Amino acid sequence: MTYPLEPLRLDRRQLLKFGLGVGAAGLLPLGSLKASTLSTNARIVILGGGAAGMAMANRLSRRLEGASISLVEPREIHHYQPGWTLVASGVWNPDKTVRPNANFVPPGVRWVRQPALGIDAEQRRVSLTDASVLEYDYLVVATGLQLNYHLIDGMTPDLVGTHGIGSVYASLEGATRTRDAINAWIAKGSGKGLFTAAPTPVKCAGAPLKMTFTTLSRLEETGHRDDFSVEFLAPGAALFSQPWVNDFVKQRFDDQGVTRRHHYRLSAIDPGARQAEFTFVGPDSEFTSHHELREAEYSRDGLRTVIADYDFIHVVPPMSAPDFVKESDLIAREGPFRGEWLDVDIHTMQHNRYPEVFGIGDVIGAPINKTAASVKAQAPVVEANLLAQMQDQPLPARHNGYTSCPMITGIGKAMLVEFGYDNNLDFLPSFPFIDPRDESWAAWVMKDRMLQPAYYAVLEGQA
Amino acid sequence: MTIQGALTILMYALAPFLWLIVGAVGVLVVVQLLARLRGYRTFHYRCLGANLAALAVGLSGLWWIPAFTNSRLGYVTTLFDWVAMIGAVVGLAIAAWLVLHPLSYLVRAPRYVRVKETP
Repeated sequence: MTYPLEPLRLDRRQLLKFGLGVGAAGLLPLGSLKASTLSTNARIVILGGGAAGMAMANRLSRRLEGASISLVEPREIHHYQPGWTLVASGVWNPDKTVRPNANFVPPGVRWVRQPALGIDAEQRRVSLTDASVLEYDYLVVATGLQLNYHLIDGMTPDLVGTHGIGSVYASLEGATRTRDAINAWIAKGSGKGLFTAAPTPVKCAGAPLKMTFTTLSRLEETGHRDDFSVEFLAPGAALFSQPWVNDFVKQRFDDQGVTRRHHYRLSAIDPGARQAEFTFVGPDSEFTSHHELREAEYSRDGLRTVIADYDFIHVVPPMSAPDFVKESDLIAREGPFRGEWLDVDIHTMQHNRYPEVFGIGDVIGAPINKTAASVKAQAPVVEANLLAQMQDQPLPARHNGYTSCPMITGIGKAMLVEFGYDNNLDFLPSFPFIDPRDESWAAWVMKDRMLQPAYYAVLEGQA
Repeated sequence: MTIQGALTILMYALAPFLWLIVGAVGVLVVVQLLARLRGYRTFHYRCLGANLAALAVGLSGLWWIPAFTNSRLGYVTTLFDWVAMIGAVVGLAIAAWLVLHPLSYLVRAPRYVRVKETP
């Protein structure tokens, strides 16, 4: 039974938004209050409820009337992963990075709390682990990526936090245990730290560099920095895709006493002995092309290896699309992303062979763009192009490759690095008054205080 | 970005400090109201101590604002950094003055009124 005059009950969050909304209402032109909607009975499946999937669920639920939208996401907790570098650096409390997914799933969207098991692109079906099947008319692949620790012999995510092993990517617990491992190394008073990069595209490609910089800050704070040696081992000649930032980081590492070793990838680890094996991958390997180094090549014999002792090692695992995506027809069949990443047009975000499929976020095959900032730029493109596809119209929106990395160069300072595909990954600054080449307190404050709120606005489809 | 988007970001950014903001605004309003009910007029009452204390509160921001953001004053380097920092310090000093100035009036009011009433 319903009671028409039952008092309206708002939780604190709704109340706050209501208050702010009323305050702003007078400023809004009437036309901007509601974007145009499309009536449809299409079945839309969104695979993944991370930043990309949740943003699309919110955006599509607002724009489509009558559609059946399913969000496939097994996790109850949403992790603010861009905060994990701050957790691992001892700056943030881990609790600060978690929110219930229920806060962000919009009404009217069916939340399927199951992991996906497979995609049959020909039959337009997604199979789930409970043997059920979701049929779709349109599919948004936003699964994120897979961490392939198993491609490093002897390495498992469980080892993070033990035997001097850290890895900010592993999980929130992994980031927390990485912090503890760094603390233990610093408390020891001396020793060698190895920081690595992966021979594949990775999410937040700046994170391995940030972890090095924040650890350097902490070592310098001890007052006896010279008692610690720090090495950075990279599989390619470059450390970062944006050319100016790459040169800057190399110079800064040199200035801060970091020994750089290029063309080495971490191939094995012996936790008990605290030794790591690195394989020389050759001078032809470059950061922007080392997706050429494929899984089959990991086991190639006869390559030169070196063994390095360490007191602390930061492991960056090779990454790829999740296995069930790799095993589907949606995976790239040729080009630099073949066999590893989703095959989409990097400008329209539409699948190159299945026009009813769109990709967004870390899973797509793109030269850069595995960041939450990229999702912010991609989400409106996918929204506009998917709606156009549903109406058999030309795709109107194009993604310019925008991505952003608040490059932390020390605890308390950062550079707001924003760039895109054009002009050799040239800068695309959002704020004319913040130079991406400058280390600044303001950029750090954005990382520390403002980007997480902006991220949640992206999840809600508001930014 | 839409206004609603900006408001959503603002909502998330302020939410952890809502109690502090509400408390500070509450103190300001209560002190101002009480003082005005007892005859306080902003620019008619003079108190060098309150002015200096508000200035000190503002300047203290040079230490604790960077610390509050897990940083340090030495990293405030660019022009925009300084514009933002000075803006924060000035804002802090004004907010402190809006509390401390009427507060000093309340503390000194009986004596102040007697002096003013003396022919």
